[in-house]
Amino acid sequence: MNNDSAKDVAAAAESAATIDTGISKKGLSAGSVGLVGAVVIGISCIAPAYTLTAALGPTVSEVGVQVPAVILVGFIPMLLVALGYRELNRRMPDSGTSFTWATRAFGPWIGWMAGWGLIAATILVLSNLAGIAVDFLFLLISQIAGNPDIASLATNPFINVVTCLLFMLGATWISYRDMQTTQKLQYWLVGFQVLVLLIFSGAALWQVANGNAFDATAIEASWFNPFAVSSFSAFAAGISLSIFIFWGWDVTLTMNEETRGSEKTPGRAATITVFLIVILYLLIAVSLIAFAGVSDGEFGLGNPDIQDNVFFHLAGPILGPLAVLVSLAVLTSSASSLQSTFVSPARTLLAMGHYGALSPKFAKVSPRFFTPGYATIVSAVTASVFYAVMRFISENVLWDTITALGMMICFYYGITAFACVWYFRKQWTNSVREFFFTLLAPLVGGIILAVIFVATLIDSMDPDYGSGSNVGGVGLVFILGMVVLVGGAIIMIIESRKRPAFFRGETLSRAAAD
Amino acid sequence: MSLLVGYTATPAGEDALALGVRLARSRGTGIDIVLVLHSEERPTVVPTDAGYERHLSQLAAGWLREARALVPADVAAQTHLVYAHSFADGLLETAETLGSEMIVVGAARHGLLGRFTIGSVASSLLHVSHVPVALAPEGTRNGGMERPLTRITCAIGTRVGAQALLEESIKLAASGNVPLRLISLVGVDLPGGHDDPEVLRVGAAHADAAAKQALATLNKDAEVTTEVASGQSIEEAVTRVDWDDDDIVLVGSSRLAQPRRLFLGSTAAKMLHELSVPMVVVPRDAATTTVGE
Repeated sequence: MNNDSAKDVAAAAESAATIDTGISKKGLSAGSVGLVGAVVIGISCIAPAYTLTAALGPTVSEVGVQVPAVILVGFIPMLLVALGYRELNRRMPDSGTSFTWATRAFGPWIGWMAGWGLIAATILVLSNLAGIAVDFLFLLISQIAGNPDIASLATNPFINVVTCLLFMLGATWISYRDMQTTQKLQYWLVGFQVLVLLIFSGAALWQVANGNAFDATAIEASWFNPFAVSSFSAFAAGISLSIFIFWGWDVTLTMNEETRGSEKTPGRAATITVFLIVILYLLIAVSLIAFAGVSDGEFGLGNPDIQDNVFFHLAGPILGPLAVLVSLAVLTSSASSLQSTFVSPARTLLAMGHYGALSPKFAKVSPRFFTPGYATIVSAVTASVFYAVMRFISENVLWDTITALGMMICFYYGITAFACVWYFRKQWTNSVREFFFTLLAPLVGGIILAVIFVATLIDSMDPDYGSGSNVGGVGLVFILGMVVLVGGAIIMIIESRKRPAFFRGETLSRAAAD
Repeated sequence: MSLLVGYTATPAGEDALALGVRLARSRGTGIDIVLVLHSEERPTVVPTDAGYERHLSQLAAGWLREARALVPADVAAQTHLVYAHSFADGLLETAETLGSEMIVVGAARHGLLGRFTIGSVASSLLHVSHVPVALAPEGTRNGGMERPLTRITCAIGTRVGAQALLEESIKLAASGNVPLRLISLVGVDLPGGHDDPEVLRVGAAHADAAAKQALATLNKDAEVTTEVASGQSIEEAVTRVDWDDDDIVLVGSSRLAQPRRLFLGSTAAKMLHELSVPMVVVPRDAATTTVGE
């Protein structure tokens, strides 16, 4: 569409200011989101109820009782990279985020792959989200109807896939038309989600105290000790998963433009959000392990049959009739997360189309709803097809997607961190602040992610890795990761033939901040 | 004073632009082309992204440039990019700021059988506007912007608001030197069939009273005709009247509306359903005088 004005990020900012307008208010009215609003958006994007039910089992399978330790340690690389992300976002706000930044720092090829990694990660999480939502929908219906058979309908692949596609369709419709819930409703939903998680963990501890636990396990300080994890492989896998559980938190850091009040609001919002989230995660992890233990018994967190969706299996034994609350919380959590997650691949695809890294069709914006319509639909179709295929080839689709997702996040976040370091290379020594935020923090964060990415990639070749799904003796997670990355590289080469301008650096040039 | 065109880069937006240009030219005024983007102040589940917002504002600027280029040279046009909670809010706020005398929107999307249906934007606008709202039916853009208005039709009843409606019609007819046709709807509310002589008599008297008032304001050679619409229902009544493609019909808003606010009454909504000509909905005045009594 408006490709002529797309030459440069900097030039774009200027042209926006020279519109022929009689009246014009700035779009980003400073100070529209208050502290509470920013925290609510942050928690809503992280979607703790969904995240925990999806990630807790796989994490236990890797590190056993040391889940709390891994949650705490996993936050470190996330924080370090998010600090670099914030610097980039401040300097080059662009809807392409990682894609645009990596292209500016390292050129078109690496930039393209970073964008690809982001899109792949969000498409993986979309299919996982929808999958979890399907499970809980049937569970909720069965709880309301008082018929446990209904919950097991979710295991029928045909019913499962069809329901999942309907969910996707709904989410696409909402995203395409850019329908937003009211702030009040959002506050209620997030408040409800947090409250239910507190009740859930409180009830688990109550059951333990009354001796009704399934496998009462005494809480020990060693649960918080990362060095107690059995091996580095297990540790790396655990960290990769815990990076997933904090994913989405970085949005609170980057909401700087529109947060109300003092300059400190975004920082404060991010701190409060992460503080609440970490406490919530630790509480749930500790109470569920104390209740169920990590054995492979019926409700043990080490039981592969319940690991892909632990709340689904544990809500009943812990809360009894109140288990319906957990189903509602996870469902609403997945639903709002589905909506905020949809935006991210669509916007990256839009930027890639806009700069000529993909077909210009992706740059289309609906003139009625002002959303990247084509990119939204393509993301939805891809996520749906991916889910449907995985549901039939994997014994444990949710688990495998979560593990592969952690790997993809490490990949594109790692590149983003290094892009930050390299882009600001002329500013490292300007001040202590610059040194810390543009070199030290993102560099350390990037290295940690790179190490975890490589370690996970190597370990995942083992057919027993993760859920134990494998194709021809090679772990499914490895195959997934490779298909995504190699597939991306192949598409990139095809695109480079079709659209050489971007790959010659003509639409988005390499640069360094000075 | 000029007309405000609520624009989107869609067929409906072009319909609005085409109607806006025709009306503006007839009245000898300019147009303000307004494109509304979402304000960041609205609540959102999705965190806003400065880069995307900037991309949108650039696109919107391009859309406005394209719209501006469609307007014939003899009509003064200005473009505005506005941020608001909703399209309707943005148009109303801007109309107030600019002192616009009318808001033009592409109201209609295809309903069943090619009839008018009111889109959600138009309907929210119709509920709160304090200036007349013109609704451009689907396809107005194909008729061309150059065509002059050939006839103003005013559909009047006896309810509150009829006076304001009549005055608005006279104004529109006078400024463009366009023939005015007055259609009385009183007969629809009376018992009796469409050919009941009593109905026709009352209707004719009502229309003549309105015509007398119109002629008093308009200059002497102005052309004012009257008709009586009758039938069991408003749908039946309006389809009995002759319409041609260049007609523009003015209707009043409902009794439910607050003074000086629009509220599309059931009569107007039904007419909108039946007719595929541009329709201007006039808010009822604070004055309570009615015509023909």
